[in-house]
Amino acid sequence: MTRRVLIAEPDQDVRELLELTVRRLGYETVAANEHGNVDAMLLEPACAMGRSVLRRFGADAPPVVCLSIYPREDGFEPAASVAYLVKPASSNEIADALRNVFGV
Amino acid sequence: MQVARRRYFVTFVAVAGLAATWGLMMAFGWSSKLGIVTFAPWVALIGFDLGLLGGALAAGSSIGLWVIANHTSGVSVDAAQIAIRTGTMLALAVGSALAGRRLRTSEEAQRTVVSLQSALIDSTLDGICLTDEDGEVLISNRPLRRISVEVGLPLSGTVPERLLAVADKMAEPERYRERMRELAKVTGTSTIDEFEVAGTGRVFRGYTAPVSNPDGSFAGRVWTLREVTADRELDRMRDAFVATVSHELRTPLTSISGFLEMMQEEEQELGESGRHYLEVIRRGTERLHALVEDLLLIAQIEAKRVELQLGPVDVAELTSRSVEAMRPSASDKGVTLELVTDHPPIVQGDRNRLTQVLDNLVSNAIKFTDGGGAVTVSVASADGDVRLVVADTGIGVPVEEQGQVFSRFFRASTATRLAIPGTGLGLSISRALIEQHGGTITLTSAEGEGTQVVVTLPSES
Repeated sequence: MTRRVLIAEPDQDVRELLELTVRRLGYETVAANEHGNVDAMLLEPACAMGRSVLRRFGADAPPVVCLSIYPREDGFEPAASVAYLVKPASSNEIADALRNVFGV
Repeated sequence: MQVARRRYFVTFVAVAGLAATWGLMMAFGWSSKLGIVTFAPWVALIGFDLGLLGGALAAGSSIGLWVIANHTSGVSVDAAQIAIRTGTMLALAVGSALAGRRLRTSEEAQRTVVSLQSALIDSTLDGICLTDEDGEVLISNRPLRRISVEVGLPLSGTVPERLLAVADKMAEPERYRERMRELAKVTGTSTIDEFEVAGTGRVFRGYTAPVSNPDGSFAGRVWTLREVTADRELDRMRDAFVATVSHELRTPLTSISGFLEMMQEEEQELGESGRHYLEVIRRGTERLHALVEDLLLIAQIEAKRVELQLGPVDVAELTSRSVEAMRPSASDKGVTLELVTDHPPIVQGDRNRLTQVLDNLVSNAIKFTDGGGAVTVSVASADGDVRLVVADTGIGVPVEEQGQVFSRFFRASTATRLAIPGTGLGLSISRALIEQHGGTITLTSAEGEGTQVVVTLPSES
């Protein structure tokens, strides 16, 4: 079954880039407001959208790959985070982080 | 008011003395010579505008007495003697009146200058004082006394003693104390220091400079104290603004560089010119990215939020890596890049931050050196410390600008004239990072001949 990655990113262009990156890896993308089964999340933890998604999942959140405009020290990293990347991370770095999540 | 009252009193005494002397002279028939001698002090004492009046009164009364004497039988007065005495007295009165007026005018002028000067120094915002060679206060202004009271500076003692007395109230008492001790020793140079009063957030900037006698010898020092709390607050706001903007810039940078990556994967489908355009965009994006990161690092440094990940570092090895990384750009420009190392001691440092400094210094040297020139990087041990020298034969920095090269956004005129790209942040970041390692960084340069940057880092022991 195809893995589903939820993307929560406020900027439309960056969102498009992330969707493209995720699809190229062969995963399915899920919009932030969509419900349903999610295997991993790629999100900007320092924006309202990212925070509301994290709230929605609460303790049941799947592994999160953070991609933020703020450094890790700024304290936006959620508990479910497994990787923290600072923008502009390259597509390769994002892909590596997602592959790590799924152990491929 | 007091001055005017004193003047009337003096005039009164003088006129009374003159009248009494006149009476004695007439009664006992003194000679005109004796008359002049005894009148002179009184007339001189009048010495004001009233001197003229006194003279005229004296002349009038002597003529009147002469008329009365001539009409009174039994008394004979020599008219010629009266005329001589009167003339002499008039001349004395006019002379002293003129002298008195001149004296008073210059006195008034001096008083005006003095009161203007004290009004001037009292009405500035800065506290100002002048000290003698021992540091004792010769003159101080009102704002200084006000600031002293507010900060709790004692109002007696030499200035260095007063400054030391409040060390415990400062945000960094040890550093402040040490600095003030240094200040008490220096005589020949002017210095500017900033210090924060703990708990209040108030920041003061102190300036002191030597003052010379007219013959050039050391007379003392001038000290000024200015509150710069508002300026520092503005700085903080500006830094916060720069940080916010820089963080926001990371979003568009992400889409630009991300899609650029995707395009590069399909580079072969682009024509020759398409590939060239892509390369230009890629370079521009890299520069923009570097600028944003530099701005953010500067903001972090300013906010003292950079934490070093300390570990043992072999500076020679780190330098060699930096030099190798820069070799392609040096050979592209035709610049000879040479590395000389002996075996310097291991230092405690942050590998990434030191690499950042090394990359910056080496790339600067290459950037500012024309083809055919040379860049020499040497790492050696010096008195147990590590000494790194990056020397180039490039365009150099004019002497008058060398004091500013470590300031944020400063760019040497030699660089801007040649339109060499840069942000003026590299050396400022380097200095902050090196100083955080407990090291020093200095730059010497001769315009048109080259530049030498020397970094020393304390070794582990």
